[in-house]
Amino acid sequence: MIKIEHVSFSYAKGYAALKDVSFTAEPGEGILLCGESGCGKTTVTKLINGLIPAFTEGCALTGKVTADGLTVAKTPLYELAKRIGSVFQNPKSQFFNLDSDSELAFGLENEGMAPAEIQSRIKETVLSLRIQNLLGRDIFSMSGGEKQTLAFASVYAMRPRIFVLDEPSANLDSGAMERLHDQIALLKAGGHTILIAEHRLAFLMDLIDRAVYMKDGQIQNIFTVGEFRALTEQQRIQMGLRTLLPVEVELPAAREAGNRQGLSVEDLTCAFGKKSPVIGKLSFSAVPGEVLAVTGPNGVGKTTLTRCLCGLLNEKAGTVRLNGKPLRAKERQRAAFCVMQDVNHQLFSDSVWNECGMSDSGAAPEQIEAVLAQLQLLSFRENHPMALSGGQKQRLAVATAMLSHKKMLIFDEPTSGLDYARMLSVARVVRDLAKQGHIVLVVSHDHEFLQCACDRVLTLV
Amino acid sequence: MKQIQKDRYLDPRMGALLLVLANVAAFSQKSFAVELSWIIYLTLLTTLYGCWIMALKWLTAFAAVLLIQWYVLPASPMVIATSFSIFANYARRMFPCLIVGMLMVKRTPLRNLIVGMRMLHIPQKLIIAISVTLRYFPAIREELGYIRDAMKLRNIHGAEKVECLAVPMIVSAAGTAEELSAAAVTRGIENPVRKTSAVQLRLGAVDALALTAGIAFTAAAFVIK
Repeated sequence: MIKIEHVSFSYAKGYAALKDVSFTAEPGEGILLCGESGCGKTTVTKLINGLIPAFTEGCALTGKVTADGLTVAKTPLYELAKRIGSVFQNPKSQFFNLDSDSELAFGLENEGMAPAEIQSRIKETVLSLRIQNLLGRDIFSMSGGEKQTLAFASVYAMRPRIFVLDEPSANLDSGAMERLHDQIALLKAGGHTILIAEHRLAFLMDLIDRAVYMKDGQIQNIFTVGEFRALTEQQRIQMGLRTLLPVEVELPAAREAGNRQGLSVEDLTCAFGKKSPVIGKLSFSAVPGEVLAVTGPNGVGKTTLTRCLCGLLNEKAGTVRLNGKPLRAKERQRAAFCVMQDVNHQLFSDSVWNECGMSDSGAAPEQIEAVLAQLQLLSFRENHPMALSGGQKQRLAVATAMLSHKKMLIFDEPTSGLDYARMLSVARVVRDLAKQGHIVLVVSHDHEFLQCACDRVLTLV
Repeated sequence: MKQIQKDRYLDPRMGALLLVLANVAAFSQKSFAVELSWIIYLTLLTTLYGCWIMALKWLTAFAAVLLIQWYVLPASPMVIATSFSIFANYARRMFPCLIVGMLMVKRTPLRNLIVGMRMLHIPQKLIIAISVTLRYFPAIREELGYIRDAMKLRNIHGAEKVECLAVPMIVSAAGTAEELSAAAVTRGIENPVRKTSAVQLRLGAVDALALTAGIAFTAAAFVIK
């Protein structure tokens, strides 16, 4: 079904992304591609859906890839599209229409299918994936999980034989991950061949037949699912893989409101316009030195809470106190900072050093140097922020907050799409900040991360 | 949850024609009666398509411009009167076009617009460019929201703001463009076969009536001086 023979590949920049990769996927087989970030997982998925070589300029490819009887390199992408369906990582950038119905029809319309048949295909897709709730919707009003489901459904409607999924869970909460699990199970039951590159592994354990472990562009090992599950914790950690077992967050509940030290939220209510409140009468507190996890399903108001605590949104009722003193929204903007999920939104300058210099506190050079050194960014001081890695960008955002003497730091989904080592390093940053006396909140769906980075948990319902 | 109403879509071809007619009429008519009846007709049409609040807003705005032109400007000092009378005059003439344009934005889904363009044999490459551009506007609005939040937390104000918008916007646009095209080609957008559409556009009786009236008004604009 899928056959990769002695493939070596390098991108235009020259470094070898894949070195002599070979493996076969039988029809109906579920194959996991795993390994640290940059190990070549995504590159392998592109070999199969044809984005390599057709969509990648100036690359060097040797070896042969066949999928569903087609030689990928010699088949036009639109022919491959009929047999190989691709779902990508970012739910935001996978749709072309503004409404969900059009999106479901998109692939079929491209194939030139008769309108009546398109309608019946869509009907069938909606039934089998149970997505009636997604019909007739404005896509920009949908949650990330819903968007990802829609992307999946619109590929499913094309009925490809092979599915290639590139980190489909990177931006999903646990509810949406369960849905993704069920969708993949449906593919499996339907006899589709599935290739899935992922960091979060636990939810896939009953769906895969084999796991391909890659390192530095090479296949290190191919495990049967039995062998893979039998890996000891130590081996798993050594391989740099995320947990294979589901993790429950078992942390003590958030402290009650009324603490004189740190953040105390009392009967906080947030609402948009005259609509019913998103957050109603919420009370808790967070003290310096502890990391507080904030979890809950999508749409429960985590983002609203974050924006309100940072003073970007006015509360309808209730009080937010810092060290006993009630703060208005404007004052909270000075006292709090949010490291956004997409940290690209908050870096503005042309070098790491200038980014820090922008802080309104007018920090002295020695101070900037000290903060950068502490966050392991000093050697990058002349680099452009956009040339940094994801983790470095996060730390740079943290640096700007520290230089503005912000007391409260909120991290919004800081580990989406991160491998084990990178997750640990975020956990370390979070812990260090708390130790230095910051009030740290972490909004996340990533249970494994929350369990190792946080001290207490606030579960919104 | 925003539901898109199934009925009362403005056919894109009809919208485009109305737009042309409104343009021609607006800049050739010289009679107030014709102008006023155009405006009333278009606001009625807007109401027919279910946007009566919008219709009301347009009428109010039009009345406001008239008031300014007839009562406020004559009573104002010379400098203001001369510098704003041209502006008011042209603003008034723009009204029909603005109303039709707004109606199209509200009542022609992107998908119908694409089908309409295909039926008019507009080249596929142009259609893709237009549709991706239109899809990108709401995305930009979303991005701007995040960036504005980020700037508030960094205490960035005034002229610096504009400069600071550029970097994140460009970075995100570049990323989106690449991801979007990868998703597009893996769903067969390059397929050379004639693309079909799950929705069919049919010009109904209402459309025909509306169009006839539009043509009549345009003709009147030339005849009645």
